[in-house]
Amino acid sequence: MEDLDFALKYPFSSEAKRIIEDMALTDQIVILGVERIKKSLRGESTKRMVLHESGKKEEIASFAAARMILGYLRNSFITSKFSINESKLVRNYIDKESKGTIERVASRFDIVPLRKDGKLLLDLPTYVSYSIRSTHYRLINRKITNGFVEINDNDFKRLVEEAVRKHIEDIPLVKDAPEAIKRAGEKLIEELPKSETTIVVKKGDHPPCILKLLESAKKHENLNHSARWYLAVYLNGIGTGEDAITGIYTQLPDFSEKTTRYQIKHLKKKGYNVPSCATVMSYGLCCAVCRVGNPIRWHKLNEQRKKEILK
Amino acid sequence: MNWAKKIFASYYEIAEFKIPAIEQREFGIGNIKKIDARHLDFANVSAFRSYLCNNTPMFVSHSAAYYEFPGATPMQKKQWKGADLIFDLDIHAEGKYGQYSKLDEVKEDLKRLVDDFLVNDFGIKDIVVVFSGNRGYHVHVRDADYLKLGGDERRELVDYIMGQGLDYQEFFQTSETHPPKLFGPKPSEGGYRGRLARRTIKLLMEKPSEISRVFCKEEKRNFFIGGVEEGNWSKTSLKLSDLISRLKIVADTLPVSSVNTDVGVTQDLSKLIRVPNSIHGETGLIAKIVDDVESFDPLKDAMLESKETVKIRFTEDVPELKLIGETHSYKKDEIKELPQPLALFYVLKKSAQLV
Repeated sequence: MEDLDFALKYPFSSEAKRIIEDMALTDQIVILGVERIKKSLRGESTKRMVLHESGKKEEIASFAAARMILGYLRNSFITSKFSINESKLVRNYIDKESKGTIERVASRFDIVPLRKDGKLLLDLPTYVSYSIRSTHYRLINRKITNGFVEINDNDFKRLVEEAVRKHIEDIPLVKDAPEAIKRAGEKLIEELPKSETTIVVKKGDHPPCILKLLESAKKHENLNHSARWYLAVYLNGIGTGEDAITGIYTQLPDFSEKTTRYQIKHLKKKGYNVPSCATVMSYGLCCAVCRVGNPIRWHKLNEQRKKEILK
Repeated sequence: MNWAKKIFASYYEIAEFKIPAIEQREFGIGNIKKIDARHLDFANVSAFRSYLCNNTPMFVSHSAAYYEFPGATPMQKKQWKGADLIFDLDIHAEGKYGQYSKLDEVKEDLKRLVDDFLVNDFGIKDIVVVFSGNRGYHVHVRDADYLKLGGDERRELVDYIMGQGLDYQEFFQTSETHPPKLFGPKPSEGGYRGRLARRTIKLLMEKPSEISRVFCKEEKRNFFIGGVEEGNWSKTSLKLSDLISRLKIVADTLPVSSVNTDVGVTQDLSKLIRVPNSIHGETGLIAKIVDDVESFDPLKDAMLESKETVKIRFTEDVPELKLIGETHSYKKDEIKELPQPLALFYVLKKSAQLV
């Protein structure tokens, strides 16, 4: 029983796999799987209340069904939305768990920090695999000794959340999907939001680092905070309007119109300057050698030089 | 080039190759460019050796990556299993020969990269240092825990080593007390924090005036250092904010900047890298595995061995250079009989021709 409740919260666990091993893929499970994906498209991180054992099992299986649908569709927008939503759900759970349970979930991803003198120490390769690239988590700002990175309890949970997201995002291709999965997937596609981007991106219009971000946005990939900030400040810097910038951000998996518009208004009000290339590099977003000093100066290069860099 | 290739081939008959999991690596060879053909694979060292002796390319590289099917094309079909972590330390200097006078500088960076970053910070154990055969060094890291890292994670490691986003001022906190105290890193700490403290103490002992003339007085200096040992950086008459900005001179020396230029090598998971102990076709120098960095002299230890001498005519002036322990410098049209490795070097550098 204890395992069942654990598996319900953590459907990617080996406990969950064991429980659904012998279950057949019923229509009800597929419906629940679709519902699970739709919830993430709406950005709802509420969980369904289930009381009975059979209901719990179906709920666990719905996660597997959702993954099969995503594996069949291979649509990075939906997959990305789903992985973010599910990982946030997991984060809500682990925030309330005991240390022991968090460690149990973490060990699924080989995140096994040592406790030494009241400190948590995580091995460096695991740390860089699951840390997000924000200032707080950048390696340069951490205490590192002899292959171990010092983390606190909150960092630990955030690393687990990211590990869950990465794990869910890495969905194997499902070639011979059952008919029910195929049908459910195709129906889902019809409900996708249509991109409202008003900016037509021509190669050469923007420096390579910006093109890369726009490309990622187009593919509905998730962008981290500094990437979003940089893109918005840049677009603002070249005189793009609020609506057009918002249009680009609608493509991101966790798009919220309210937040996006607020942020854009804020940066317009503050009048932030486009960061220098050195800063962009420190965000880990530089991907070419343009030697312009500031991305905004890209526009001063002649066409020939632009072409050479973009080659 | 046939003359050079014969020399290469006879070296390859006896060359010592230590390529872990050779059967899982992709190989690339080049004659005109460094890589003209890739997707080659070899089941073992003797198959590789016989290829080199029979075909003798000017350049030979292997993948940092391990593949299920290293010879398969396109890349996706190879099935990537992991990759060594590679760091490339490179010198960019003016002229054909400019880099050789700077090889010692890059050696300092190499020592810091290996000792400070890879060993002390990252806790890495399996490190192989290789002379690139021309203008720098390659460092191969083969610890199992690091092999699986993706490009983004590798970039994070390089950024750390290069000090991208390093803000040493963040290491310091001023207390709310009166007078305020400045707390900062202790020399015993790891990473950049400990290094900043240790380097500051070192500089204070060696050239105190570079930080401030205040520290030229032994008593004041020792009082300050005594505080730093405990993480208390306030034991000085200097204004604390002034002290912090003066430490920039120390902070600037902490990262390894010569990794800079070749971030791609570390990040690129399908990159081919010169086979350790193979010959670099532009110099005739061996891309030698370096056992002792301190005593390694590339322009001596990486030369091929031969008792033969060869007559060459110089086609341009070459600047003074210390090769095999002796100073050499030649003028255009000079004809010289030189030991074979030196003749090979100048011919491959396109500064001379066989007579």
